[in-house]
Amino acid sequence: MSYESSRDIIEVYLRNELRVVNKSLPVRRKTLSELINEKYPYVVTRDGGIHMFRRSELALAYKVLGDELSKKLLLPIILEVRTEFKETVMVVNDEVAVILISRLLGLRDASPPLYIYPPQLALIRNKIGSLIQYAFIVT
Amino acid sequence: MSHQQTIRIVRPTKIELIRLRKRLRIARRLHKVLKDRLIILTQELIGLIREAIELRNSCHSKIVMCMYNTINTLFYVDPHRLSLLGDYYRVISLVMGQRVVAGVRVPLLEVEEKILDKSILSLVPLSAINTLKSCYDLMKDLVKLAELESSIMKIGREVLRVKRRVNALEYILIPRIEATIKFLEMKFEEREREDKVRLKRVKEILARRSPR
Repeated sequence: MSYESSRDIIEVYLRNELRVVNKSLPVRRKTLSELINEKYPYVVTRDGGIHMFRRSELALAYKVLGDELSKKLLLPIILEVRTEFKETVMVVNDEVAVILISRLLGLRDASPPLYIYPPQLALIRNKIGSLIQYAFIVT
Repeated sequence: MSHQQTIRIVRPTKIELIRLRKRLRIARRLHKVLKDRLIILTQELIGLIREAIELRNSCHSKIVMCMYNTINTLFYVDPHRLSLLGDYYRVISLVMGQRVVAGVRVPLLEVEEKILDKSILSLVPLSAINTLKSCYDLMKDLVKLAELESSIMKIGREVLRVKRRVNALEYILIPRIEATIKFLEMKFEEREREDKVRLKRVKEILARRSPR
């Protein structure tokens, strides 16, 4: 490949990489109360596949949030991974999701946007691994 | 500057320098995206490996327990009756799905149990009930272990792929673009100095030629 033809290859590669990592985001998110009543709780992703939720994790989220908030929580919870930060930090902007995560992590007075660091991510992953998804955002 | 570090430049011009700077910016951004993804995937991989090791150990002890219970039960109940007991007592189904971890599709398996007839347990000895319970526990753990090990394979493969790309960007592409930018800047500075010297020389020559 000549230099001329490979001029914008990095840009194309960046675009493709973002497409690959973000292809698994859901087309339409469902509420927790909707999912808990489904026989097979899942959402359809952008690439046409499915993302399934673990029943035990849905039950845990329902138990933590209660009936009222579970009608408002949209799943999967999107953790935004932004390139603007120097370190790997994830941001949660959804208000109900912030309540759920802060209760699971034992945080007090958490309000959106909630910043999650890798050690906290390991704890969240252990408890509600199938309820979260990552969105990579290039700013 | 080594030969390997420099990109072949077709035109050493200012426009080329601007393009290279833009390329460097994009390459750094791409490197950050890939590095974040690598961190997430690595963390997931480590968590899965830890879980799998623990589960494998617990499976080994449960296999021993299950065999022990089965042998005890076979003193009182014949094997055919024991298997029939399992069939009439409950239906076990396996739900297979997928979940996505940072762009990697991994399997999600869940065992569902539906009790058909609880009263049947009153007709069999206690050891048979223990056997049923321990076998069910073992099966659930084995399914979970299968899910974990399959996920480890898939995520591990992706970690290798992403790591190779991160390293290529970090150690080859970005240093190469940086070196080329530096080379171009030095070249332009050199050209500027040459121009200055040339102008001075011309000025001198003109001054010498001109009559006083």
